[in-house]
Amino acid sequence: MRLSDYFEQSFSNLWKRKLRSFLTTFGVVIGIGALVAMISFGKGIQKNVSESFKQLELFNYLMVFTDSAWMRLGDPDSRRPEAQDEGSKAVLDDGVIEKIKGIKGVEAVFADIRFPASVKINQKEAFVLIQVLPAELAKSKLMKLRSGKPYIQDDVWSLIISDSLLKRLEVKELSSALGEEIEISTLAFDFSRINPMNLSSLFRAETLPFSRESYAFKIEGIAERMGFGGPTPLRSDIFIPPGVAKDLKKLPFSNVWDLFRSPENQQGHTLANVRVSHPKYIEPLKEAVREMGLQTFAFIDQLEEFKTGFLVMDMVLAVVGMIALCVASLGIVNTMVMSILERYAEIGIMKAVGASNRDVSKIFFFESSVIGLLGGLFGLALGWVVSILINQVINYFLSKQGVPFIQYFSFPWWLCIGAVAFSISGSGAET
Amino acid sequence: MPAALKTDLLTKIYTMGRVQVVALCDITLIIEKGAFVGVTGSSGSGKSTLLNLLGGLDTPTSGNIEARGKVISRMNKDELALYRRHHVGMIFQSFNLIPSFTALENVALPLFFAGVAKRERKRRALELLEKVGLAPRKDHRPAELSGGEQQRVAIARALINKPDVLLADEPTGNLDSRTSEEIVGLLADLNRWQVLTVVMVSHEERLLKKFSSHLVHLQDGKIIGRKRAT
Repeated sequence: MRLSDYFEQSFSNLWKRKLRSFLTTFGVVIGIGALVAMISFGKGIQKNVSESFKQLELFNYLMVFTDSAWMRLGDPDSRRPEAQDEGSKAVLDDGVIEKIKGIKGVEAVFADIRFPASVKINQKEAFVLIQVLPAELAKSKLMKLRSGKPYIQDDVWSLIISDSLLKRLEVKELSSALGEEIEISTLAFDFSRINPMNLSSLFRAETLPFSRESYAFKIEGIAERMGFGGPTPLRSDIFIPPGVAKDLKKLPFSNVWDLFRSPENQQGHTLANVRVSHPKYIEPLKEAVREMGLQTFAFIDQLEEFKTGFLVMDMVLAVVGMIALCVASLGIVNTMVMSILERYAEIGIMKAVGASNRDVSKIFFFESSVIGLLGGLFGLALGWVVSILINQVINYFLSKQGVPFIQYFSFPWWLCIGAVAFSISGSGAET
Repeated sequence: MPAALKTDLLTKIYTMGRVQVVALCDITLIIEKGAFVGVTGSSGSGKSTLLNLLGGLDTPTSGNIEARGKVISRMNKDELALYRRHHVGMIFQSFNLIPSFTALENVALPLFFAGVAKRERKRRALELLEKVGLAPRKDHRPAELSGGEQQRVAIARALINKPDVLLADEPTGNLDSRTSEEIVGLLADLNRWQVLTVVMVSHEERLLKKFSSHLVHLQDGKIIGRKRAT
């Protein structure tokens, strides 16, 4: 018997029982559709995260921080006991930063300096943490600009602002903000406000010795907000060059927790970001930095953790999809069993005229495979259509929050072929 | 004349629970090539069992069946399928046509399993339908055909693989006497002009006496009489 005959025969047999074949196939379509949509969602998220890691060259970054900062970054209760004694003395000051700069492979080191400020444009005001970012890094791939350009020197009164902050400041046409002036106000100690005659009000914190200082900056670039709020050395909506940051009068801390830090640490920074020329330098760098009594956090390790998480997510999604597919498979089994029972006499006739058992089972195998093939193809199409719809809905809601359009679903070629092959083989195996 | 089929102490016992039913007992038979053997006997005498064994649809409990020099009783399932496909044609009392197939498709069915191309299947099926006089009804389904026509379709199907032996199991059981005579006459013609060996089981001794060359009488699974027609 020829292959084409089997196909023709199975199509004509299925056609004779249109309604039943349609319902069974529809079950498979839903099953495969669910499986495909689930897996493509898992793969889409994964692709987005690893691509954004790659795009931003995050693998080239290492975060270095003091032990006391570790306490702050993590859960204060869960601090490791041994860190207390040896680590707490390490200071992350400019000298240490220079030392780190000298380690092999290190391209740049910049302290994570952020301070509270108010930004004002067109009479609209917002309160943000401003981050100090060297021009060298503003130019790097770390910074994703939507329009404009990064500042090229460390001592210009220019800044980069995120599109979401501009939206918050009710700037309608984002690119029109380029080149505009923006007012930055900081808080600074003002000892002139300490009235020696009325110290009691100061002690009761009724008046605080702070004053507001305002500076004018030019908007040089507009940064794009990351679709995935993954970890990044950039954790602010406004970036200014370090040269001018030095001239700003500002409080030497961004967080009250900073004040708790031990007195020796106070001159130092809490955190610094290190950029290496190649991810291979991360491991030796980690070693060297830890020997200095500092803590490290590498994004490349983070991705490994993510990958484990993704695997779990994939499994969960696949299991949910598989359940749908199992139900569909039972539908095929039911249809085939019915078909065999109904065609008992027919099978007997076929055998009497020379069909072997193999020939007969092949006929049924092809019939269920055809259901599987059609179910697989249409299921793939259904999964694809559904994923487009879901993607549009998610993006519609997220775009309101300034998140750029993201493709949450990914259809790698192996998923498309795999889904159809799985459907056919699964259906075929049942006979 | 060389033998087309030979049986040697052929025995078939069916076991139903604890009861053993001897359907055939020590049947030794030589069916010559080109013979028209009629097998008769009352119902339950083992006629159909004998035919099923000869056609390779069933396997004997003991004893041998030889066809074309090969012991078919020792063949495995696949070999038996090939034997049925190429060497035997069978027709039945209830015609056993596939209801959803047209006459032409029913006739072509054995070629389907033999791996013959579609066009060739159609050509040969049509040729045989012409031979049995049913070419104009090739596109009708079995339900649209009379009993006699259905049996002609079944005969055409049995002949399509050019078998050596045609086994007919009560082919006239569902037909009126005039049509019965036509059908058996057709078998006799095929036997005579195509040198086709025919084994026909029937309880209508009158028909067998009229057309067959040999007559075997079965009772309780044993041969109780053999006759050669004059």
